[in-house]
Amino acid sequence: MSTDRAELRDATRKAFGAAGLAPALDTSWNTVTEMGALMMAVPEDLGGLGLGREAVGVIHTELGRTLAPGPAIAQMLVIEALCAADGLAGRQDLLDRAIAGEIMTASLARADAWGALTAVPDADRASHVLVVGEGRVSLVPLEGAAITARETWDRTRRLFDVRPTADGLVLAQGAAATALAGRLEAQMLLALAGDCLGGADAILELTIEYLGTRRQFDRPLALFQALKHRVADMKTWLSAAEALFWNRATDAAAGVAELGALKAHAASVYRAITEDAVQLHGGIGLTMEHHCHLFLKRATLNATLGGDADYWEEQAGRAALRKAAS
Amino acid sequence: MTDALETLRHDVRAWLEANAPKDWRATCTSHEGFLATQRGWFAKLVEGGYAVPHWPAEWPGGGQGLAEQKVLYEELARADTPRLLLSFMSTYHAASTLFEWGSAEQQAKYIPRILEGEIWCQGFSEPNAGSDLAAVRTRAERRGDVYVVNGQKVWSTMGQFADKCLLLVRTRTQGAKQAGLTYLLLDLKAKGVTARPIHQIHGDEEFAELFLDDVEIPVADRLGDEGQGWAVAQSTLLSERGLTLLELSARMRGALWRIADLIRETGREDDAGILRDFGRLATRIDAACALADQFLANRIAGHERVGDASLVKLTYSRTLRDFTSLGLRLAGLEAQYHEPIVFGGGMETGNWMADFMNSYAWTIAGGSDEVQRNIISERLLGMPREPKTWTLAGDAA
Ligand SMILES: Cc1cc2nc3c(=O)[nH]c(=O)nc-3n(C[C@H](O)[C@H](O)[C@H](O)COP(=O)(O)OP(=O)(O)OC[C@H]3O[C@@H](n4cnc5c(N)ncnc54)[C@H](O)[C@@H]3O)c2cc1C
Repeated sequence: MSTDRAELRDATRKAFGAAGLAPALDTSWNTVTEMGALMMAVPEDLGGLGLGREAVGVIHTELGRTLAPGPAIAQMLVIEALCAADGLAGRQDLLDRAIAGEIMTASLARADAWGALTAVPDADRASHVLVVGEGRVSLVPLEGAAITARETWDRTRRLFDVRPTADGLVLAQGAAATALAGRLEAQMLLALAGDCLGGADAILELTIEYLGTRRQFDRPLALFQALKHRVADMKTWLSAAEALFWNRATDAAAGVAELGALKAHAASVYRAITEDAVQLHGGIGLTMEHHCHLFLKRATLNATLGGDADYWEEQAGRAALRKAAS
Repeated sequence: MTDALETLRHDVRAWLEANAPKDWRATCTSHEGFLATQRGWFAKLVEGGYAVPHWPAEWPGGGQGLAEQKVLYEELARADTPRLLLSFMSTYHAASTLFEWGSAEQQAKYIPRILEGEIWCQGFSEPNAGSDLAAVRTRAERRGDVYVVNGQKVWSTMGQFADKCLLLVRTRTQGAKQAGLTYLLLDLKAKGVTARPIHQIHGDEEFAELFLDDVEIPVADRLGDEGQGWAVAQSTLLSERGLTLLELSARMRGALWRIADLIRETGREDDAGILRDFGRLATRIDAACALADQFLANRIAGHERVGDASLVKLTYSRTLRDFTSLGLRLAGLEAQYHEPIVFGGGMETGNWMADFMNSYAWTIAGGSDEVQRNIISERLLGMPREPKTWTLAGDAA
């Protein structure tokens, strides 16, 4: 791990960790804005820190670790789109407001169809929503829009259906919009993958801790090899997925297909680890009081957000076929 | 990919076009053919400077960075060159143990000969010391300037073709099992050594049993001190579990075309299920490669933790099983008709049933998957170790 990444991770973990697991939305959002998470990737001349994808990766893995609520992923997409909107009048003002934490949100579903947006986090509190349509990316004010809350199994995320009425500000058009849409999708996939791996790491740690304290048959569960082997497998798959994550997060050439395959992989590792975590916790793992279900539900939601494994693995297969032919 | 790496890829590709053995599948149908091909190919690689890129820079062909090595290994697989099965132990296990533990004299004596083609094997396992490696019983008694060795080793890869052997022996029976071990360098031509090949499930004989009957090994051929054998053996095992895997995982990625070819040959380019399995495999291979890279980068930076190598090996062994299983599945009934295996193809012979069976070499050899899981849970995750209630059987003295 680079020292920069390790330092940023430690600082972020400290900041987010203080609020505990699945904190309240306001608490969490304050931390996100106060620690400057939203300005990490913004170029310096636009008032940001210019830290790029690796820093974004750190933020999302740490948000995933604590099951932080809030629209951080969506907000970063808006910020990225604003950064790209060179000629937009009043851009700096919008960007400053977004970085300061005024909620501007976006859909986390894979294909945005102009007109109706699904899986939009915290839309009820948002001033704007990003709309990525055919040949156009725009930022639409939410006054007057139809916003329908969709209760999710995952209590740590609030999602809405949104039907904007206005046209909004055009951020990019034509080929530029298509290119931007690709970049936004890539960024979303990376963020979701980070969320998965942070969450997987946290629940694995909690599970190992539990196995060390829970006693049955006069010994800690951690002494049973059948259980040790399961967590060793989880650790192994997680380590490989993490290595892939940082590899692709720092590879400027990694495009939508690579990040989609990464997201699919990370989500399947997350899901497998949360499933085992419930099982290894026994009865307590199946209760609402305990944290296992929070991770399990976030993992299954992450698996579908941004496109599911069926979709991305097929894309990866096609890409690998093409590559093998070259 | 940087320009320098692109240039390297181009150079390696051109060099391989001119130098890679093309008919090795045909010539490797007998052991004589296998040995000749492997020796010839290794000599070519030494000459081209591509045989030991992972060695330190002061040795000919050494000093390549991780990125450069990966490019080389991917191209070697892409060009369908045979893996260096015969010299693999020499260039990895033996060399890295000698680099770490060998005296200047020992290095000067043994390392150049590896480049000249001397073959090493590893004599650790015994019939009753497999996963429990510290239980080795092969006895070495010091008599003046020599150790006199008696015992039996088993599963020594390439043991029947090797010149030298990394030998783990017992010099003391009292006390902790590990503390009584010593590491010797055995000349397999020495009097009293008998090597007997063993038939593997795919029909080939890649490993052998070694019988040692009053074999004399000079004390000068001991690595580390007497009683330090366990620590020295850890170097060898670390090399087997971590270092080798940069090459093996990069080669696995380079060999993905084998499955791509099968998908096309069987007309399944649009079969979504197959595409997904292939996409998942390709991503997992990338993850295995990324983990191996990270391991080596940490190792070079001095940040390696005990157990990290086990993560790398377990990832590789499981991914290799996935790779060969998908090939076997795609090859269908054809793969079930017996085709004699091409000796020395390693894991990528294109004979899917053989490749599949060979993948067990990685889930069993070098510490089985279960042993890696023990190490990961106990060393990396800090879980409690098994209580030790057993003593070495027959260890009354
Ligand atoms: C292809 C191949 C090449 C090899 N090459 C070499 C070589 O060159 N030199 C050399 O010295 N050796 C070599 N070996 C030997 C190899 O290191 C051993 O086979 C291996 O360590 C396993 O030991 P074993 O065969 O005695 O199996 P055992 O130790 O008897 O294991 C049998 C089964 O029990 C499991 N098991 C054992 N102990 C535990 C435990 N504590 N907890 C849970 N499960 C356990 C194992 O994982 C395995 O599944 C090779 C083996 C193979 C297959």
